[in-house]
Amino acid sequence: MVKVLKTKIEIEGRVHEEVVVIDGELPAPWDSKAELTIVGQPVPRVDGAERVTGQARYTSDIQLPGLLHARILRSPHPHARIKYVDISAAEALPGVRAVICRDSTAPIKWHRSSFVFDSTLRYVGDEIAAVAADSLEIASDALRLIKVEYEVLPHITDEQHANDEASPPVWVDEPRNVIGGEPEVYKRGDVDKAFKDADFVVQATFRTPTALHNCLETHGSVAQWEGDNLTIWDSTQHIFGVRQRVAERLGLALNKVRVIKHYMGGGFGSKNGAGKYTVIAALLARKAGRPVKLMLNRMEENLVTGNRDSTVQHIAGAVKKDGTLLALKLVCYANSGAYGGGGMPIAGPVQEMYRCANVYTESWSLYTNLGRDSAFRAPGFVEGNFALESLMDMMAEKVKLDPLEFRKKNYAERAPKDNLPYSSKGLRQAYERGADIIGWHSRAWADRPAVDPKNPDIRRGYGMASQVWGGGGGPPAHAIIKVNADGTADVITGTQDIGTGTKTVLSQVAAEAMGFRFEDVRVHVGDTSLGVYAPLSAGSMTVPSMSPAVQMAALDVHKQLLAIAAEVLEVKSARLELKGSVISQGKGKKSITVKELIGGLSDYMVVGQGLRGPNDNSYAINTFGCQFAEVEVDTATGQVRVLRLVAIHESGRVINPMTITSQLYGGVTQGMGYGLMEHRVVDHRSGIVLNPNLTDYKIPTALDVPLEIVGEMIDLPDTIATTTGAKGIGEPPIVPTAPAIANAIYDACGVRVFQAPISPDVLLDALQRRDQPMVVEQPAAAELAPVSQKEE
Amino acid sequence: MMKPFDHVDANSAARAAALLGEGNQAAPSRPEDRPVRLIAGGTDLLTVMKDDIVSPQTLVNIKTVPDLDRIQFDVATGLHLGPLVSLTDLEHDTLINDRYTALAQAAHLSASPQLRNMATIGGNLLQQSRCWYYRGPFHCWLKGGDECYAREGENKYHAILDQGQCITVNPSDPAQALIAFDATLHILGPSAQRDLKVEQFFINPTPQRRALNQLDDDELITAITLPTPPPDTHSVYLKMMDRQTWGFALVSVAARITWDGDRIARADIIMGGVAPTPYRATIAEQEITGRSRSDLHSGLADRAAHKAMRDAHPLEHNAYKAPLGAALIKRALLAL
Repeated sequence: MVKVLKTKIEIEGRVHEEVVVIDGELPAPWDSKAELTIVGQPVPRVDGAERVTGQARYTSDIQLPGLLHARILRSPHPHARIKYVDISAAEALPGVRAVICRDSTAPIKWHRSSFVFDSTLRYVGDEIAAVAADSLEIASDALRLIKVEYEVLPHITDEQHANDEASPPVWVDEPRNVIGGEPEVYKRGDVDKAFKDADFVVQATFRTPTALHNCLETHGSVAQWEGDNLTIWDSTQHIFGVRQRVAERLGLALNKVRVIKHYMGGGFGSKNGAGKYTVIAALLARKAGRPVKLMLNRMEENLVTGNRDSTVQHIAGAVKKDGTLLALKLVCYANSGAYGGGGMPIAGPVQEMYRCANVYTESWSLYTNLGRDSAFRAPGFVEGNFALESLMDMMAEKVKLDPLEFRKKNYAERAPKDNLPYSSKGLRQAYERGADIIGWHSRAWADRPAVDPKNPDIRRGYGMASQVWGGGGGPPAHAIIKVNADGTADVITGTQDIGTGTKTVLSQVAAEAMGFRFEDVRVHVGDTSLGVYAPLSAGSMTVPSMSPAVQMAALDVHKQLLAIAAEVLEVKSARLELKGSVISQGKGKKSITVKELIGGLSDYMVVGQGLRGPNDNSYAINTFGCQFAEVEVDTATGQVRVLRLVAIHESGRVINPMTITSQLYGGVTQGMGYGLMEHRVVDHRSGIVLNPNLTDYKIPTALDVPLEIVGEMIDLPDTIATTTGAKGIGEPPIVPTAPAIANAIYDACGVRVFQAPISPDVLLDALQRRDQPMVVEQPAAAELAPVSQKEE
Repeated sequence: MMKPFDHVDANSAARAAALLGEGNQAAPSRPEDRPVRLIAGGTDLLTVMKDDIVSPQTLVNIKTVPDLDRIQFDVATGLHLGPLVSLTDLEHDTLINDRYTALAQAAHLSASPQLRNMATIGGNLLQQSRCWYYRGPFHCWLKGGDECYAREGENKYHAILDQGQCITVNPSDPAQALIAFDATLHILGPSAQRDLKVEQFFINPTPQRRALNQLDDDELITAITLPTPPPDTHSVYLKMMDRQTWGFALVSVAARITWDGDRIARADIIMGGVAPTPYRATIAEQEITGRSRSDLHSGLADRAAHKAMRDAHPLEHNAYKAPLGAALIKRALLAL
């Protein structure tokens, strides 16, 4: 029986309502008593060998007969109008097969009122024209031959002044550069009264950097037309999203567009949909009549494909002497770039992390003449958590409580925002486990002796931070399973493995639920023509969305096979058991393998279907965790070494301890980079990004990662969240890392750093100011006033 | 992406100098405009070519010149380094580690293992500025323009001492160590050979010569020689980066002390990352010369280090370099 329902799902910290169609019987949840033999095992990646031997074909590896290579001419100015573009000399260059620009293509709508090739250029990197040629070298030579005359316009790149009356508007219809025209305001309780009633008020201003994803495989597409059918290989986190957007922009039916992505070298949120490069590759291929590869180079990767917004956050907390958190207030400004969507949930941690009756948040997203913001592994929450978790330690010190005790005292038993019960929350267990491993309760506190008596500059310290995030996933998500004549099974779904182990984890779920041997299952993903719909692989939602769909399809297969076996064996199906690809009737009786059963059916194909059911909106579905850092600070040089980083998280059932631990390591490493070294630098006078490369934009090397990372999960099957009990883990482990390290630095040397990254220059500057009477209650510019009205 | 160019193998240093002399006869006004350039490891040259900072018509490959990658030592004559000695070889050479410790350490702390395998000591000394305005789409003063954009811009990596019209710092690590060991460059042109101390080789760019060194358009380095250090000479190279590896120095210090019993007979303290050239901390050297080991350890090192940074003129974003420089000098001296 078909049911049509509505359900709320959370993606990247934002809640949406979706229609969900239920057809068939949803699986009975695997609770903590379920006897599972494949799910929960540390199974190595099914495609590991292909990856490490170079056989895995990434988008950038695609070779096709007659393939052309493309490059894009980009704006050298942060803000300009194009007077004219002359592509004739480029077109005349031997080896050039197609050149397109504003004047040679029908206008294709893009962001707001702009077009793919727009007459106004809004940041350094904006697209002007594109060339497809026999080689990348010829394409590059052709770019130099394109003549463009610009009318240079005034620009604004600094988020601290974007909202000034005197600043030029990035978009003519948004004169004050505020996305949506006003800030997003959230309130609960009576914040003003709570601040009056408080024993202590602690406030500070925090600044966080623009961070770049720096995917190892850059963004890009290969486009090939066969008649009016378009195939696109795209380095993407959402093949169906790319199909939708490309079809829409090019006026094609959905079944004329096929999007393929088998392997990907990193996305982190920056590859959530089609880019201009995708559409441009298709346009060039159509014009040239040959397939076109358009992969961005490292500079383009760092200028145009999105970033984590830089923020200025004025935050204040009101607390009682006994450590009760009374109120939190946050006014934050985010730099969204010229084409950003804004609205990153920077206020999320303040609203959701702790029990706090009175909360006010005001979030401004500002347009600037820079590359756009985009999702970046827990967007908003990473930025917001740096401020909140630093403030929590400052408040704990004020009320003379251990930072961990202070957090436990304000532990949220119900979701503070919606006042709903949690589907599961293992944070208390995570606190205990993390504290045990790092030795939190036995650590020496302030005034501990220097590590090395001969070098009193070296100090050690401990710090911790908590994390809340969504990651419950949701519908729509589909899967089908075909059982072959030899008893093997193909699991087919239109999700994508973005390098996280999706294929491996779904193989485990399918084998477990069907009762097959693991090696008899193969999962196929990453092809819109062959797969059934699946959501984007972002928002930590792939496993919680896809694993129930695969589980349901597998149970469908399981049931069908038992029914067929009952017929063949002439017994009741209820007396049969299917396990390890063998159907048995119990002790001493005849058993039959799936292979034998299906092999006798003249190529009859068992096809199972499954989908993701609705979320239970009477619960809050979240993931939690905490991280503890032990650092060594060289107070003479400003160098910070993270000696140990203990990451304990809870995201429901652990399907594969190996792939999940990989996520913890990756999140911690990226979080450490954010906290200590990553920073896109802009020259505001010229509007030019100074370090769009891997030399000057510093990411952690193998020598920089913590000397020891301990990653563990609190394995807590959450059967309210999903029928497999699993939630997502892609994003949570990056959320608490930077503030845990910042808090450890404070513990080590008594200096609170109010900005990330805490690079040596920043820490040395802070240490130089240590002797001045700056105390935690009075950081610079603490008043909670809009940035633009503030004197500094 | 690079523009097309010719690639010519030279079979001798003289041939390379002749090719440079012929090709660069017109004596371009900017070093960036030289039509003929040498290529050895190429680790710096290719980056400036890819970024369109230089677009030579011809590259003269000197990797085909025999014997330019030799390391030779003789107590009487000292250390001889061919210009093609790789940073990896410098880093691992036992004798250099033993007698010229700071040089081996400086090589080890340069770049990444992959880059050190390719990079040569000669090319290392000839690196272009790493200033992001020089490397970026700015017609800056060093490239022949009118303005140094870093002065009022993003200058956290820039000079705090000896600031001229250009405030870049020299990116080389081994340069500091070579100067501490009184190294000499042997330079060949089409018609003449000359010797130049490494310390004199590096210059603060002037309006007439907007370059970081004295090498002319038609010259190449054929050897680097270092005298044998006197007995009881010790040296160290300390470098601070904004990560553990693969970074240019925020500040670095090569320190070398020759002891006469308990007294400091000679001190060399050369800093990187603080000035457009390697910077000799003369004040600190004078402060400690003639003093004893126990003086050094009872406050002298600290005082000398801080005096060395007395003349620093920090800009908006690089004030941290003065305390960092003092910390490294102090630490270096106490390690000797």
